[in-house]
Amino acid sequence: MRISGAYTLPADPERAYTLLQDPEALAASMPGCRELVRTAEDEYEMKMNLVISSIQGLFAGKIRVADKEFPARFRLIVEGDGKIGFMKGEGVLTLSPVDGATEVRYDGEVQVGGMIAGVGQRLLDATAKYLIKRFFEKMREWACHE
Amino acid sequence: MIPQNFEYEAPRTLEEALQLLADGSAKPLAGGMSLIPLMKLRLAAPERVVDLGRIPGLSYVREEDGVIRIGAMTTHYEIESSPVLKARCPLLAATAAQIGDMQVRNVGTIGGSLAHADPAADYPAALLALEAQVRLARAGGERTVAIADFFTDVFTTALEPGEILREVIVPAEAPGTGVSYQKVAHPASGFAVVGIAVRLRRSQGKITLARLGVTGLAAKPFRALAAERLLEGSSATEADVRAAAGAVADGVEANSDLYASAEYRTHLARVYAARALRAALQAA
Amino acid sequence: MATTITKTETLVGKRIRRKEDPRLITGTATYVDDIQMPGMHYAAILRSPHAAARIRSIRVGPALEHPGVVAVFTGKDVEGIGPVPCGASLPGLRVPYHSVLARDRVYFVGHPVAVVVARDRYIARDAVDRIEVDYEPLPAVSDPEKALEPGAPAVHPEWPDNIAFTYHQEAGDVDKAFAEAEVVVKQRIVSQRLIPTALETRGVVADWRSGERSLTIYSSTQIPHLMRTLVAQALGLPENRLRVVAPEVGGGFGSKLNVYAEEILMGFVAMKIGKPIKWIESRRENFLCTIHGRGHVDYFEIAGKRDGTILGLKLKLIQDLGAYHQLLTPAIPTLSVLMMPGIYRFRNIRADIIGVFTNCVPTDAYRGAGRPEATHGIERMVDMLAAEIGMDPAEIRFKNFVRPEEFPYETPTGLSYDTGNYAGALEKALEVAGYRQLREEQKKARQEGRLMGIGISTYGEICAFGPSPATPAGGWESATVRVEPTGKVTVLTGASPHGQGEETTFAQIVCDELGVDMDDVVVQHGDTAVVPYGIGTFGSRATAVGGTAVYYALQALKEKIKKFGATLLESDDVSFSGGVCVCNQTGRSVSLAEIAAASYRAAKLPPGTEPGLVSTYFWEPPNFTFPFGAHIVVTEVDRETGAVEIKRYVAVDDCGKVINPMLVDGQVHGGVAQGLGQALYEQAVYDENGQLVTGELTDYAIPKATMVPRIETAHTETPTPVNPLGIKGVGEAGTIACSPAVVNSVVDALSPLGVRHIDMPLTPEKLWRLIHKGGQA
Repeated sequence: MRISGAYTLPADPERAYTLLQDPEALAASMPGCRELVRTAEDEYEMKMNLVISSIQGLFAGKIRVADKEFPARFRLIVEGDGKIGFMKGEGVLTLSPVDGATEVRYDGEVQVGGMIAGVGQRLLDATAKYLIKRFFEKMREWACHE
Repeated sequence: MIPQNFEYEAPRTLEEALQLLADGSAKPLAGGMSLIPLMKLRLAAPERVVDLGRIPGLSYVREEDGVIRIGAMTTHYEIESSPVLKARCPLLAATAAQIGDMQVRNVGTIGGSLAHADPAADYPAALLALEAQVRLARAGGERTVAIADFFTDVFTTALEPGEILREVIVPAEAPGTGVSYQKVAHPASGFAVVGIAVRLRRSQGKITLARLGVTGLAAKPFRALAAERLLEGSSATEADVRAAAGAVADGVEANSDLYASAEYRTHLARVYAARALRAALQAA
Repeated sequence: MATTITKTETLVGKRIRRKEDPRLITGTATYVDDIQMPGMHYAAILRSPHAAARIRSIRVGPALEHPGVVAVFTGKDVEGIGPVPCGASLPGLRVPYHSVLARDRVYFVGHPVAVVVARDRYIARDAVDRIEVDYEPLPAVSDPEKALEPGAPAVHPEWPDNIAFTYHQEAGDVDKAFAEAEVVVKQRIVSQRLIPTALETRGVVADWRSGERSLTIYSSTQIPHLMRTLVAQALGLPENRLRVVAPEVGGGFGSKLNVYAEEILMGFVAMKIGKPIKWIESRRENFLCTIHGRGHVDYFEIAGKRDGTILGLKLKLIQDLGAYHQLLTPAIPTLSVLMMPGIYRFRNIRADIIGVFTNCVPTDAYRGAGRPEATHGIERMVDMLAAEIGMDPAEIRFKNFVRPEEFPYETPTGLSYDTGNYAGALEKALEVAGYRQLREEQKKARQEGRLMGIGISTYGEICAFGPSPATPAGGWESATVRVEPTGKVTVLTGASPHGQGEETTFAQIVCDELGVDMDDVVVQHGDTAVVPYGIGTFGSRATAVGGTAVYYALQALKEKIKKFGATLLESDDVSFSGGVCVCNQTGRSVSLAEIAAASYRAAKLPPGTEPGLVSTYFWEPPNFTFPFGAHIVVTEVDRETGAVEIKRYVAVDDCGKVINPMLVDGQVHGGVAQGLGQALYEQAVYDENGQLVTGELTDYAIPKATMVPRIETAHTETPTPVNPLGIKGVGEAGTIACSPAVVNSVVDALSPLGVRHIDMPLTPEKLWRLIHKGGQA
């Protein structure tokens, strides 16, 4: 499944770039994130309890940052695995200044497997958009408060 | 059904139910048409389920003071066949009649459907067009929310943890209101690929009120305000209908799935908006 | 002697209500899941979420520690049993070892990895979630054409080209036919993967009696006897210590014409734990792990003359086999090639099959099994040729049909069609539909801008499988007819009907031969301890082959009845009919019940005759049978949305002599419904990573009752000489005929826009794109 879109963060690109790779900011913004631990340079392990309405799933995941070009773009690789399924996503985030803020464009591929892929295809698209929206909204709050 | 272990509570009063739900950890069970399949697949695994089905007095349709009050546990079949609704709010009755299949309509409830907030559920289109309100209850309190503020995103509503939807309030329609609900049903699930509810009033050849509720198209149901604006004050000619229908998806990011791409869904919304408008105009 | 009443009414040919139905519609039938036994345990299976992965490790400890769990078995525990059998053989066929549980790799989503045994089914299912498997995901391939591309992921590493077999068949002079052709039409035609979706999912109960050293397996199967032979082999158990019972079976459509890992596995588990074990497939498992049907990509070329004469046909058939061979997987596309000429006279054909492995659940027999694909192909190609030369689709068919005087007709693919009147069936269908008037209506509709279509499909099918030399496991069927001492009649049939209604049709045959009432006859089946041996119900064979075995058993029995009657009547000149044996000289008579009682009492035996009234007959058919027919479908496509409406559905089917017209209509209705499913709604979709994304009935659309139009049925009746009853079979006809009729109709509707072919399913969005984007998808 291809995903793409754009959100604006109230920060300049340098700060937005740093925030988007900041473990604390990521932990606060990743939907359902319960724990985020740095395991190596640009690599994190995370535990998530994802709740969408009645649906709930525990996931263990990894986040990796690659192809870093400060402050313009980087590649984000996310993997999650749980009893209700697994997901692997890889995408490029491109940052550009817009009126004192930063527009973050994302463009990537998400692969979903297991139960959620088998029974959820009617809602995957809308749900993925929702989760990304929640992520950026939290990130925006974080950017405002810090 | 082989779900994960869960505790089951069947309170006999609303107060008791609200107490059991107060800390937000338990899941209320209404008709179970969505929750039970999810539990069966173990996509939902609540530790505690509070069955609202044994509480008397949550299933009713009553007209009072110009509005119709519908209890949350009223089934789709009761709504589709209610003489009060058929006479005074035919849009809601007609919408209920198009939900799922007969078995689902016999068991599923309006409160359960709305609280679950599936983006392809049928009721929201009609309730948005009706500018309905929902009464939400929690232990020690209650509030009333406009339906437009109730749906916040995909599967997400204004319900706070511990809160349940206990009543739906719709207007008792003035005679001469033209209504229609037109839906493309998914051939497998019966959910609305798109569903359009229309409510029109006409006076001296001009549209005085136009309400269009749209479901299935986007992450959450919505009112097509641009289309409504184009219609109100117009003479509702075929050209007006086409223009309004053409605006039904304005500014909307459409859903996409195996059955219907975003492009096709958007197109269907426009076609079905025109069809619903024409049908409603016949009656208005 | 008591007064005897001669029964003169015959039942064959009458609309008799089904004996099976009261128990089926009152919920009192016994399916596998209704079986309860003292000490019964329950199994749940852990299945791979990956389409391709190496298994690095499996940790079963947390599951074993779960209270109530008795055992957990993984691939290394079951190395001594299996493999899951493949009964088909083709030259050079590559057969991957199909272990009962995955060993070091998984090959498709749903591949069984471990089985948990517990006190109840809830505990078993909970414990499945506690098993920890470390998978190393590998690239997967789910599209058979992509699997053939160089560099595609290898489903089985030992065969990097993913080719399981190739198969070539040729007759006549194809190159000459194409060289001399005035018109050649080429088309790629897809027959998509389908999920059979029987109402009852699969299920197994296994019960090991250690004292008797005997195992009983209850399974929702179409083939109890073949299963006994094959599962006994897989378990290393003497066949006479295994009993297989098919209790009430809630539909199969070919998906239960198989031996699955679970039957072998549950036998193994029962023997290991010494307790009865039950496993019931969930709907989700049914979608992931029970065979799928179809899965063809066919490249057709048809050669013809401008006068409509078909000269020849070429076919390259790519069969998506899935990851393994189930019982008949590789044989199914060869049936497509056999029936590729359809019911037309051309003699030049060339077919090449490529059987391709993919990381998907195996395909196998599904209602029609190879013949719907063939019929869809030839019927589409004939329509396309007609369109190319501007000929009416009915006319081109009349021109090319095999003619009634040409039977038996030897086809270029080596079959001998028994009887047929193809033009007769089409004429009848045209008449019922009012074809000329429909074409007039269509002209008018087109002037109004409406997209109305008329589609014809004229099909022939190969049924009553079949002569033993042409089938993998024998093509005969057995019957035992026993008149009990009280005159009641018990029939044992080796065919294992599962909803088709043979308890009724076989009873009708018995009633006419023995002069008893329907209520006096019980037809038993599906238990290897009761029925001597049998082949099963599939390939529209149960009545044509199994019914004929019943008929022959009855003839032998009648001879014996006459002998006992003659002894009782003290006369050599007796006749038996209508349930009464009469002395032709004196007119004295004895009833069947009196004869039966005397035969078991055996006070006075006729010379050279054994006591009792039992007759067993194993009937070997000399040929297949070849039913045929013509379906006409009128559709209208909504120009705005692409939605298809079926305005009329006319089905003319000729299945030879009809035993029960009501059941034949029922088979046609059900068959057409499944054909409509393929034509309009159904498609098993695997994404590029091998995930089945139509994994539940919320996304996989089968037609509901409200989605099936009224079907106008009519029949012609051309008996077959292959069996004395003249019956051919009807179980698959509706499905075979339907999909090309619907697609031909919709293509006809859209032909003014330049559309010449559309692949199934004809979903609204697909048609909308064709309508709005200039006829190109």
